[in-house]
Amino acid sequence: MSLKWASVPLFLLLSITSGLCGASSFENTAVVRTVELGGSVVHVTTTYAIRALENNLKTYTIALGKEDRAKTSWVEVKVKGQDNTLPFTERVEKHLSLFDVTLPKPLSGNKTLNIVFENIQTHATTPWPQTAAQNEDQALKYTTDLFVLSPYSTLVQRTKLRALTPRFISWAEPQGIDAFVGDAAVTKNGANVVYGPYKDVPPSTLDNFLEKYQQPVTVHYFHEQPVLEVRKLNRAVEISHWGANINIQDDISLYNAGPKLKGHFSRIEHQMQGYNKKGAPHVLPALTLGLPPGIRNTYYYDTIGNVSTSKLRVAPLPPKGAQRSQYSILELRPRYPLLGGWNYSFTLGWDAPLESSASYDKKTGTYIVAIPILTPIPGAVITDEELKIILPEGATDVSYVTPFPALSAVMGTHVTFLDTVGRPSITLRYKNLTLKHAQEIYVTYKVSTLAHIKKGLTVATALFTLFVLAGVARRLDFSINRKKKVQ
Amino acid sequence: MKLCRNATVARLIRVDDTCLFHPRSRHCAWRSPPALIIMEYDALKTLHSSLPPFAPHIPVGVLPVLALVLLSTTFVLAFYFSTLPKSTIPAKEVAVASTASVLGGFGVVALFCTAGVYV
Repeated sequence: MSLKWASVPLFLLLSITSGLCGASSFENTAVVRTVELGGSVVHVTTTYAIRALENNLKTYTIALGKEDRAKTSWVEVKVKGQDNTLPFTERVEKHLSLFDVTLPKPLSGNKTLNIVFENIQTHATTPWPQTAAQNEDQALKYTTDLFVLSPYSTLVQRTKLRALTPRFISWAEPQGIDAFVGDAAVTKNGANVVYGPYKDVPPSTLDNFLEKYQQPVTVHYFHEQPVLEVRKLNRAVEISHWGANINIQDDISLYNAGPKLKGHFSRIEHQMQGYNKKGAPHVLPALTLGLPPGIRNTYYYDTIGNVSTSKLRVAPLPPKGAQRSQYSILELRPRYPLLGGWNYSFTLGWDAPLESSASYDKKTGTYIVAIPILTPIPGAVITDEELKIILPEGATDVSYVTPFPALSAVMGTHVTFLDTVGRPSITLRYKNLTLKHAQEIYVTYKVSTLAHIKKGLTVATALFTLFVLAGVARRLDFSINRKKKVQ
Repeated sequence: MKLCRNATVARLIRVDDTCLFHPRSRHCAWRSPPALIIMEYDALKTLHSSLPPFAPHIPVGVLPVLALVLLSTTFVLAFYFSTLPKSTIPAKEVAVASTASVLGGFGVVALFCTAGVYV
């Protein structure tokens, strides 16, 4: 690699500084960042090929810039080729987020390892232009930092931005990075725009480097699918022991976050597109959801009333404990097609046998229920979710574990049919959920036999009161002609 | 991750958008769930899949028949109640009313479940 003489003093400075900062414990032999460009959700996978420069190293640090961190809603770290995730802790230093990853085994000198850092970004793209006519294309912009941040020096790194289709409108040309560039700073190859390879990059978290070389790069690309956002999801899960039923009801506010409609909506244009099977990429005519197997009594309505334009194919319920490989497919067609900037609010609910989600530990008298956090909508982000879990009346010793932390958790009481004191409820709030968050919460509780029969006894008490009133009324004389009778 | 016990636990406050809130600590940092809590989640998940599934005390298929039988009996007993002589110590009336009430109470619960209102 040919070095520009003007950058030599800077390199020396960076090298000395990195040595003083302890950034010499690892060396990145290669870093490859792949950005899967989408609409609401962008999937970034960064693979670090690391080499230990010292013995007995247990922690490797990964860095994210402030802007990237603000957009991140899911982080997962693994060793390449393995399923188990690696534990990490995050700390914030200046404007950087540093993830200290605990390695599966301490790494001795000159040993290598490949670490995969996966993060999902939400609300990372913006439609550009911001308006589009009904028959026009949809284009989005995505911006990220040019260099992959790392507190360690990197021999070679590249960033690959991959779109669904090879239709890029423009991409940024990096400036002032000749010191690292071999052939070309950026190339386009099919559906990929590749920044790099950049060679001999010093620790990129240093202020000097960030000031001089780090820069945002923006790609502008066509996107062939609607950009969907669930602005608000209220999920209520109600458990009934008498009916052996679990009811899940979603109140969904669906929003098309693509370019806003320019001009007016033409029904003729929309029907012609449907007839020619050439729908506009930013229009959502229908939605397909994967619901749990074995569901029944599914309902779908909006503010006007029941929406009949839906089709459900129920998958058979597998035995409890068996892997669920099939899902019930619900194809639903909103009352109107969803164009850019349009909202559609609807309610979707179903019942399912409680035995498919709940188990009972006879030794401790504890019930364990698996509650799904959300129903994934492909390509969509759920900006705000409130999950309310309503347990049977009289449930005690309530506890739960979640696969990832909620923003807040509140335990309260929910009163519904035939309740006296109400049912315990757990309300959890989440933000920026994606497909990766479609996991289950486990709730444990106990319900005594007395609590079970309390409902029947409550109604019995009410009926007995009626009988008492009837008994009293029988003994009262309401006849009008009482005096005549006496005579 | 959060393990929350007891129905009387107070409201938990959101500290930060990306915060793992620990109720006994003010330290707030986004971290992967600690190894102990991962084990608890995985252990509970494994326990849940190994335990027998939930089974109601009364099979769901029996509920419609039970509702019909119980409510019919309640109706008959209510009619019988109305024919009982009025006595100073209404022992028989109380007995009939109690029986009809209990049968009616559970019959109504069975009826609700039959109608799709899973109480």
